[in-house]
Amino acid sequence: MSAKAKDIMYPVVYALGLLILWEAAVLIFDLPLYLLPAPSDVVQVIGADLLSNMGVTMFEALLGFLLANVLGFVTAVIFVHSRPVEKGMFPLAIALKTTPVVALAPLLVIWLGTGYWSKVAASMIICFFPILVNSVKGLKAVEHEAWELFTAYKGSRWEIFWKLRLPNSLPYVMSALKISSSLAIVGAIVGEFVGASKGLGYMVLVSSYHLDTPVMFSAIAAAAVCGLILFGILSWLEKKMIFWQKVDEAA
Amino acid sequence: MTTLGLAETEKSGGPDAASRKPAISIRDCSLTFGDVRVLNRVELDIFQGEFLSILGPSGCGKSTLLRLLLGLLKPDAGGEIVHHGNPDEIGIVFQKPVLMPWLTAIQNIEVPLSIGPMAKMGKAERRAKAEQALELVGLADFRRHFPGQLSGGMQQRIAIARALAAEPSVLLMDEPFGALDEFTREKLNFELLRLWKNPDSSLQTVVMVTHSIQESVIMSDRIVMMSKRPARVEDILAVPLSHPREVEMEELPEFIQTVKELRKRVKDQ
Repeated sequence: MSAKAKDIMYPVVYALGLLILWEAAVLIFDLPLYLLPAPSDVVQVIGADLLSNMGVTMFEALLGFLLANVLGFVTAVIFVHSRPVEKGMFPLAIALKTTPVVALAPLLVIWLGTGYWSKVAASMIICFFPILVNSVKGLKAVEHEAWELFTAYKGSRWEIFWKLRLPNSLPYVMSALKISSSLAIVGAIVGEFVGASKGLGYMVLVSSYHLDTPVMFSAIAAAAVCGLILFGILSWLEKKMIFWQKVDEAA
Repeated sequence: MTTLGLAETEKSGGPDAASRKPAISIRDCSLTFGDVRVLNRVELDIFQGEFLSILGPSGCGKSTLLRLLLGLLKPDAGGEIVHHGNPDEIGIVFQKPVLMPWLTAIQNIEVPLSIGPMAKMGKAERRAKAEQALELVGLADFRRHFPGQLSGGMQQRIAIARALAAEPSVLLMDEPFGALDEFTREKLNFELLRLWKNPDSSLQTVVMVTHSIQESVIMSDRIVMMSKRPARVEDILAVPLSHPREVEMEELPEFIQTVKELRKRVKDQ
């Protein structure tokens, strides 16, 4: 078996083993459904309802993720080109980071209502900091000699940005995207907890009122799958875009 | 101070003294960073067509001097860098290759041709110049390779090709082979000398900063010895070896004498 096939096989085998153990434990100890449903119970409640709620959460998370990353990167570019702006605004960004999004969520619902936008905003707030910090780091992490090279050949500020700083920052940007891909889901679900009529967070909340634990499990699993899908796409994108890092490792 | 009569043998090595025209003159250049004086009233004429080495202890300010020549740093008031030719016709090679890992070899060579005043150049012309430079360093077969796929020596040759592609008349090199192993270093030393003499390259003048005495002697026409910080020109020695240089010349008495002489001066500092 190829190494790649093994990389896929092993986690699959372990996950299946765990599910079988779980199923067996529920049977053997005769656990009540509201406490711990067996995987087979959870599978039965998967349906159109779950998928549509998953779609809602994914949409909110993705929109927040995209907006935060665009905004965060642009802010980083401004920071890198203006020290006064960086000095003045960086502490504010840190203050925003240290404020738990859970504490902000009710305020967001008051401001933006119970629709999509309060969840998108929660996602944005939580995704903003990783991209800001990493982009600033990446844009600044240019080798001094590379900067000298561009300056010696009279490269303009724009050329230094476009041909040197930007590509140089990509590995940092991609790792921020990976970090915040799972955070985006957290933001959306937190927003849904506070006030929503759909989405996975809403599903978890409602099923907890009804002690409908299988539904709750299905929603939790769906949230994990959302995160995994985003993370998977970004990892693939990273490999395609930042190909030179892989080359470096091999050398 | 010299007892070897090195000055007399100068003519056999370097260009004829009478016909020498300066390419760049460094006039009374001092440089101070805060409280630290790095360069102390440096005076030096770099002549057209010569291979000049700047030799000195680590951290003495040799590299700073190169940056002054490149215009990356400005001398303190009173000092002046006079370019007798076109100041844009200067190439630079650093100790590290400083290649962009996301660009192929040929794209890296095109970097200086695609920024600043040369950005106006047509695509085809840019590619042709880059191809020619790649040819000169003997890496034409590696044009599509990324830096990560090339050895340290090959990367440095790409860096040299990048400098040559812009067709400089003066090439500045900051310990260009300092990070390479001894075998690669020796090979590239002679390769560079051949490039310098190659009529297909625009190179006339080479200024190389080094801390290797042997390297400076085998490669250059003249050697500028810098003092400890704050650096000034301690001495200028002409190398009594003819061109083309060969590795066997390292066994000639002239080579050994010059190395000895330089060692002695380093010790006397």
